[in-house]
Amino acid sequence: MFGFNSHLLSVLVFLPLAWAVVGLLIPTRQSGPNHLIKFWALGGSIVTFLFGIFLYSEFSTHGDEFQWLETVSWIPTLGISYSLGIDGISLWLVILTVFLMPIAVLGSFEAVEHRQKEYYFLLLALETGMLGAFVSLDLFLFYIFWEAMLIPMYFLVGIWGGKDRIYAAMKFFIYTMVGSLLMLVAIFYLAYQHKVQLGSYSTQILDLYKLHISAGGYLGTQSLLFLAFALAFAIKVPLFPLHTWLPDAHVQAPTAGSVILAGVLLKMGGYGFLRIAFPLFPAAVSLFQAPFMVLGTIAIVYGALVATIQPDIKKLVAYSSVSHMGYVILGLFSLNQIGTTGSIYQMLNHGVSTGALFLLVGMIYERRHTREISAFGGITRVMPLFAVAFMIVTLSSIALPGTNGFVGEFLILLGAWSTNRVLAAVAASGVILGAVYMLWMFQRVMFGPIQNPENEKLKDLSFREMCVLAPLLLAIFVMGIFPNFFLEKMEPAVQKFLNRSSVGLASQPSQVHPTSYAQGYNHGSS
Amino acid sequence: MEVLKTIRPELLTLSQEQLNCLVPYFIVFGGSCLSILLSVWGVIKPKWPVFLVASLSCLLAIWFSWGLIDGTKINLFNEMMISDCYSHLFNIVFLGSALFTIFASLRYLDDEKIQHPEYYVMVLFAALGMMLMASATDLIVIFVALELMSLCVYILVGFRRNDRKCNEAAMKYFILGSAASAVLLYGSALMYGATGSTEIRAILKFVQAHPQSLNPIFGLGFALVLSGFLFKVASVPFHMWMPDIYEGAPVPVTGFMTTGLKAAAFATFVRVLVNLGYGSGISTAIQGHLHDVLWVSCALTMLLGNFIALTQVSLKRMLAYSSIAHTGYLLLGILSGTRSELGFAPVVMYVLVYAAMNLGAFVVLALLASEGDSKLNLHDLSGIAQRHPWLAFAMAVFLFSMAGIPPTAGFSAKYLIFYSAVQANEIPLVVIGVLSSAVSVYYYLRVLVYMYMREPVGSPPVLLVSLWSGLAIASMILITIQFGVLPEGMIDLAKRAVSSLQI
Repeated sequence: MFGFNSHLLSVLVFLPLAWAVVGLLIPTRQSGPNHLIKFWALGGSIVTFLFGIFLYSEFSTHGDEFQWLETVSWIPTLGISYSLGIDGISLWLVILTVFLMPIAVLGSFEAVEHRQKEYYFLLLALETGMLGAFVSLDLFLFYIFWEAMLIPMYFLVGIWGGKDRIYAAMKFFIYTMVGSLLMLVAIFYLAYQHKVQLGSYSTQILDLYKLHISAGGYLGTQSLLFLAFALAFAIKVPLFPLHTWLPDAHVQAPTAGSVILAGVLLKMGGYGFLRIAFPLFPAAVSLFQAPFMVLGTIAIVYGALVATIQPDIKKLVAYSSVSHMGYVILGLFSLNQIGTTGSIYQMLNHGVSTGALFLLVGMIYERRHTREISAFGGITRVMPLFAVAFMIVTLSSIALPGTNGFVGEFLILLGAWSTNRVLAAVAASGVILGAVYMLWMFQRVMFGPIQNPENEKLKDLSFREMCVLAPLLLAIFVMGIFPNFFLEKMEPAVQKFLNRSSVGLASQPSQVHPTSYAQGYNHGSS
Repeated sequence: MEVLKTIRPELLTLSQEQLNCLVPYFIVFGGSCLSILLSVWGVIKPKWPVFLVASLSCLLAIWFSWGLIDGTKINLFNEMMISDCYSHLFNIVFLGSALFTIFASLRYLDDEKIQHPEYYVMVLFAALGMMLMASATDLIVIFVALELMSLCVYILVGFRRNDRKCNEAAMKYFILGSAASAVLLYGSALMYGATGSTEIRAILKFVQAHPQSLNPIFGLGFALVLSGFLFKVASVPFHMWMPDIYEGAPVPVTGFMTTGLKAAAFATFVRVLVNLGYGSGISTAIQGHLHDVLWVSCALTMLLGNFIALTQVSLKRMLAYSSIAHTGYLLLGILSGTRSELGFAPVVMYVLVYAAMNLGAFVVLALLASEGDSKLNLHDLSGIAQRHPWLAFAMAVFLFSMAGIPPTAGFSAKYLIFYSAVQANEIPLVVIGVLSSAVSVYYYLRVLVYMYMREPVGSPPVLLVSLWSGLAIASMILITIQFGVLPEGMIDLAKRAVSSLQI
């Protein structure tokens, strides 16, 4: 097929960008309805989604670790190559990205009224950046996508955001930039180490896995390098206490921006830990295991507590993200198969359920132009469909068995338990706190009498909005009831990941397969 | 006195080969003379003929320099000048910078009602001075070329002669610049006193043969030469002159200064350092001192430039301080050049890239400026993106590039600089560098905030982008993105240029 197969990933990555560039040629009006450009963008994201599904169906669980590898020498002087590949971990994150994109596009059909051409261009360009970061196997390339991603997001928040959008956009950009610049220095060092140890420059991740970096305690080379990477990733996750950019950016971003930010961009951090920081610096990871687990636990509890008192729904959801992403860190740093699998699963869950929450908040904001919880009450009476959707997503967010959230958090807590019981116990309280803030909010918004006359004439979900929510609601149940379908493809990659990251670990805790837990749970629930 | 005796008549006649190397210089010189004639001819209005002659001679000279870039190294005029890959690469930068400055000035000068043909002549002569500077290997020739360049630029800075700010800038620049030239000259004189030669490679040879000649007189001379160069590249603590002058000068001239002038100063600086044996062991004592001096200056330049730029509201001043910050990155490259495998190639690459992106930004500013260079404050840019999406896009590309964000050339150039610095084990400086460049992101992005995220104030007039400015901007965008995505070509060129520097 004219070498199509060997460039599959390049096509996937650059398809949205190319589509967006063509879209620039479509004539639009400054304001008012511009149906052509909307549907063009929707078409582009759907085509990318179908392409992602095609990749999924072609991906073989028992094949090579990285499939559709693509390596072209790019800057040979520095050993930089254009190198792409996908494994069981990045496959799911890619699917998540291409799955959320059409939803984000469709979700902004009515919310975005001015400068629509630029808006959809940036959304699709952002997709290219995200996909590129997930599939690149060269640190330099990864860094380029990682940074290039900031540009569209910066404009999305800064132009189409809420009242304090400029402040939020700046904060988001600079916060992320500071972290990633130190990561850049670490990348230089690694490339240079490759030259020193193996005789040639390389920034390919798979080559760098072979390096031996001296450990040497908390201030040793490996620890410093690990911290340089970890800072960049922890800011992106965001891990307590580096999370302060997140509430601002989430609250100010347009709905689709929040969906993508929460759904995909935060996963970059977790993915970075998985792909780069853990396998490259195993000794440092085991050294910093405890502090990071503690930070993850603090994030879970702190995020939940702060979410409880938020008067603004969107801000509440933003802080719930901090809490949920805390689970991801906790699971990753448990350093066992269950915890890791749970973390990856939790990343996908969070993308789906928080994405849905932001969409729902966006829908009600479009109707009422406020997000204050106190302005609502009794919404169930006027918007029954909306209430049902909100209920399902809420339950997913508080990890009710049968929804996706449960599987992820269950696996993570199980993994953490076998590493550190105290922290696991504390983290488990996050589940209860999660129920507290979500259900309390739900009750205040949805139930009770309608106190505000403005709420009496709210329209229920339109057909478009149902189309936006339906795939997410479906995903919540599918992921909750058939986790194995997802876990299978991850398993070999997770095993490889653990093999690489477990050097220097005193003992390998519990090696029970997470799938067997999931299996048992499946039987139990059916 | 040995050197003087060696001048023999046959060395002063030029062989065919040597003549070939000089073609670009002759073209520029001829172009300038022709432009002078045309401007006093009086039969036709001089604007268009002079513009055409000036741009054509730049283009032609670029063409010939490009042809010579792979040529062999040829000594000229009794080793006072040299023609190598390095000098021709920089010739292209200077000529390109002059060409696009001319393009950007055509409409600008009309708008400012200062359309005098002398302007183009001055730009050409300044470019000639830069070309001679980058190819000179003799301290006296360097001085003469520097003066040729500087005198023209003094005039260009004060070209809006009815404007007080402009005159102030020209005066300041003239006085401070002359002082710095004098320091440089005095330093050269002391070095000549210590070694009996003004030819750089001969100085090195003499010093290597007679280590005792590394006496305080030589040291003082060297320190003065170094200060002269640090002044010309505007590094802290010799940076004070720059912001006022950048602000006062007409916008295209500022653009010309940040690109051509800076590139010339750095090109000469690197050549002098390398040919004086920097890194290859002129003397460990001097080497160590030199390293310390550059280290401190580099750290201060990066920090001060970026932090002061944060508080600027005038775009020209902001870009002036950002230019100081970029000087810091370049110094970092020079500092680590001797101990990394890439040598000084990152410096050369950075100079090229910086010239492209900065020139582009100033061409955009020249379009945006209204009469008397007013309206170049941040808030005057409010909402530009809605009226001029392409101009705003161009500015965005240049600013992202200056901030060092991929996939622009600014990123790959910065990557190389920091990369070689890590190799040279200058990790503390690299950390200062990356953190201060994180600071810089703020002030670059703030411009974008005004352009894209604020509503326009009032109803400013619609700007007409002239064909020539458009051409200049488009080429700069092309370079900025091309070398951001595929930097290998430029890295390779820079490496060849630097390897031709070695004696």
